[in-house]
Amino acid sequence: MDVREWSLVIFTILGKMSVGAFLVFLVVYFFAARKAGREEAERLSDLSLLAIGPVLLLGMAASVLHLGNVMNAYRAVSNLGSSWLSREIFFGVLFAIVGGAFGLMQWRKIGPFGLRISLAVLAALLGIALVVSMAAVYLLPTQPAWDTWATPVRFGVTTLLLGVLAMGAAFVANYAILQRRDPSCAEAQCTLLRSVLRWLAISGVVLLGVELVVIPLQISTIATGSAFGLSSIEMLLSEYGAVLGAQLVLVFLGAGVFGVFVYTNAMSAGRENVMSGMAYAAFAIVLVAEILGRYLFYATQVSIGL
Amino acid sequence: MSQLAFYFDATACTYCKACQLACQDKNQLAPNQLWRRVISYTGGGWTIQDGFHVPNNFFTYAVSIACNHCEQPICAEVCPTKAISKRDDGVVLIDQSKCIGCRYCEWACPYGAPRIDEEAGVMTKCTFCEDLLAQGKNPACVDACVMRAIDFGPLEELRAKYGTVDAIEPLPLSNLTQPALVITPHKHAQLSGTGTGKIDTLEEAL
Repeated sequence: MDVREWSLVIFTILGKMSVGAFLVFLVVYFFAARKAGREEAERLSDLSLLAIGPVLLLGMAASVLHLGNVMNAYRAVSNLGSSWLSREIFFGVLFAIVGGAFGLMQWRKIGPFGLRISLAVLAALLGIALVVSMAAVYLLPTQPAWDTWATPVRFGVTTLLLGVLAMGAAFVANYAILQRRDPSCAEAQCTLLRSVLRWLAISGVVLLGVELVVIPLQISTIATGSAFGLSSIEMLLSEYGAVLGAQLVLVFLGAGVFGVFVYTNAMSAGRENVMSGMAYAAFAIVLVAEILGRYLFYATQVSIGL
Repeated sequence: MSQLAFYFDATACTYCKACQLACQDKNQLAPNQLWRRVISYTGGGWTIQDGFHVPNNFFTYAVSIACNHCEQPICAEVCPTKAISKRDDGVVLIDQSKCIGCRYCEWACPYGAPRIDEEAGVMTKCTFCEDLLAQGKNPACVDACVMRAIDFGPLEELRAKYGTVDAIEPLPLSNLTQPALVITPHKHAQLSGTGTGKIDTLEEAL
């Protein structure tokens, strides 16, 4: 592992997180508007939306660090016909532009509602295309540890898990800001927030379950696929066993244990402070776990190349 | 025009690395930027019989490998900037003025052919000594081989002359990229995918 691979770890994690957060934003916004009206839904989510853009831009800035020749970076979208790397950059840039335009319009309430929602749906689709191409980049026949069904599935799970927990943290942060500005708005918001957090906590636990099923399946698929895959898995379980163990413990702790704490504390009014703390912790712990997972992905790569 | 290809005679190679050195010298390559490498592959072992070490299916042979200017160059397929292209004569070249140094081709190539130029931050690889070819000369590796183990020419001609083997261990299976490569296998050579040995190349002290 060198600077180059760390830059890819950061880019893929932040890219997936921003897509996941955007998808979760959209779903929450939709349901919150139905439940409590559009105004309360916007109070809940507008500010958190502004956190997504910088996360994506930070990831893209990190990705540039792995290039040997940054001056040519603009050429990276020249091979959309056959290179998933080109497609990844292409969808990343489009997601940033359309998502950014929507964020700005939604925040400042520019343009008709229908236009804004259309932009948001388009941005969500571009975000999904970004994660799909991000995963497809690694489906190289020369890299048996990457070239399995599990890579896109893990990318998808990470996207949603980080999205759910990041938005959980963003919503509680937003609530703290709202309360400071105007304590009177708190009641309706507080009920809405608790309801949203309960759903996010449940989603996090479900996604944790999926991840804990997929990881062993992925390990057995790679290990039985080829001798090169087997040596990847041997490395993963011996040399990097402690890192893998830490990843599993942390993701269970964050999405599972702290997820349940968020849920129980969101059941009744008056425990918002505890709930908020738990939501921050769940996000931070799972973020670390997913970073470890990405680290392992690169560190245990065994190429069939010479 | 036909596809240019390298030929390698594993029965003649003595693992002297003169080809590797000639390539490095002619192309002014950094020590970790080898466009042609000689790889040693060893298998079997020794058993003790009556207090003596006796060879037990022991074998070792060397493979000299550069870019194979593949008929389906996966490097060119995955390159995000179209910096890698295949000429009419089959030679695969990297246009450094387009390269962003993302090293994706390095991940994709099963032969380890693309190599980063650390100073310029762009990828480089075997050019088939296209400058020498243009002057009617041979690639540097071909002329450097004291055993005449390396040859080059149109792929079809080489196949007619030497056969169609293009994948012995430790090279990957040729179905990935259709390498323009013809090999005369060493008598102990294991075909790709059936290997029981391992690479044991001695690296030069730098």
